[in-house]
Amino acid sequence: MTPIAELAAHAKAGELALQRCTACGAVQYPPRELCLSCLADALEWRVSDHEPGKVLATTTLHHSHDPQFRSRLPLRVGLVRLDAGPTTVCFLAEDCGTGTRVVVSAETDDADRAVLTAAPVQAGAR
Amino acid sequence: MMDYGDAVACAPVTVPYVRRSDKAAAWWLGSALRKLLEVSGVKKTQIEGLCLSSFTLAPDGPAPFVQYVGLSPRFLEFLPFGGACGVLALRRAARAVQCCDAEVVACIAGDTNGPTSFQDLVAQFSSFSRDCVWPYGAGGPNQSFALITEHAMRRTGATREDFGKLCVAQRRWAQRNPLALLRSELTLEDYLAARPIAEPLRLFDCVMPCAGADAFLVMHRSRAQALGLPCARILATIERHNAFPEDPIQWRGGWAMDADALWSQAALGPPDMDVVQTYDDYPVISMLQFEDLGFCAKDDGAEFIRRNDFAPGGNLRHNTGGGQLSCGQAGAAGGFLGMVEALRQLAADARHALVSGFGMVNYDRGLCTAAAVLAR
Repeated sequence: MTPIAELAAHAKAGELALQRCTACGAVQYPPRELCLSCLADALEWRVSDHEPGKVLATTTLHHSHDPQFRSRLPLRVGLVRLDAGPTTVCFLAEDCGTGTRVVVSAETDDADRAVLTAAPVQAGAR
Repeated sequence: MMDYGDAVACAPVTVPYVRRSDKAAAWWLGSALRKLLEVSGVKKTQIEGLCLSSFTLAPDGPAPFVQYVGLSPRFLEFLPFGGACGVLALRRAARAVQCCDAEVVACIAGDTNGPTSFQDLVAQFSSFSRDCVWPYGAGGPNQSFALITEHAMRRTGATREDFGKLCVAQRRWAQRNPLALLRSELTLEDYLAARPIAEPLRLFDCVMPCAGADAFLVMHRSRAQALGLPCARILATIERHNAFPEDPIQWRGGWAMDADALWSQAALGPPDMDVVQTYDDYPVISMLQFEDLGFCAKDDGAEFIRRNDFAPGGNLRHNTGGGQLSCGQAGAAGGFLGMVEALRQLAADARHALVSGFGMVNYDRGLCTAAAVLAR
């Protein structure tokens, strides 16, 4: 299975899977077949139901190149820096602005692709 | 870095852009080659080298293309680096000429634009972008640059009005350029009131995809002079890919790593530039180039825009053909637009020009940066 298919398989089970290198410990996203840091072919999946992070930037899309999305516009999308290291492109739940502490979770879309969504950390929940 | 000896760039040509084309990319690239021969007097058999850039040439690559146009070069480069390809072509061609791997090198970039060309390109741009960006609303580069813009606005205090000032100034230059596709008057009010695309970006922040080609020649100075061609010397160049991968979001480009080397080799500085051609797929990227290439301090980009006048008659001649924001973005030719415009300005009255490129927005950032300092 390709790394992106494995990401989707985990997402279908409600899990966010990041790759971790067993040789050097680097954590990476988007998934790939080698460690971006030491190039080892020794990657494992670090699986959780969500990963904490912080919103770096946000946008609201009013235009899409893909007709599948046009009925869903406007869509809120952002960049989230995970505490684990990588920056992820995410859909944003309500009340996610730049600087918001969030948790990022994964699910699959209509095309069975993994998609990540960031939601604000609930006060006192974490 | 070693200098470029007597290698010079000359003969800028443009195959006029059109919004849509049913021609193949090879027609655009081959037509640019014909124009190069027409304006330079160089014979086709004298084209010994070719640097080619295109996104829509597939399934053909550079070797099938030279068969298509009947060239037999002994130096052939394919440079699919988008907005950085003009400077990359220049520096490779100059080394080839300087080292006598080819006497004359044609540098050509172009793309066609059919009904779905741009969408197809964005959808399949790279594995990371296809798998980890497209599923998030398929905003394409508008989305990626909206995020970079929002961050840069927070970092520098830049406002929509600041970016609008750049766009309006470029439109005024475009009104003098018959090759620009967008020449109707654009006011700051028009800019601010345009329909939102990917906030904070609105319509006039985004380049219009189109078809077209741009090209130039690189050869020894003596040959250019014998042909009567105005030519530009190459004082310095830089190139960088995937700079600062540890930055969580792109707030600087590879120019910041290499600008000191660029100016040191050129033995000139930003104030010495008579014309400045930045890569303007979105105005925020021009601001990043002003900062990272040393026209102002980092984080001072917004103030720099406020204290300079970029329009015709202003103090800083910037993107003097109208830039991509007014000419259109003919795929890879967008990476050549600043180069051919700089060569035209140097053939007119400019003494020194800066050309900067930025290409290949992948996943969350642009990967390729390059710049060149040219002198008449």
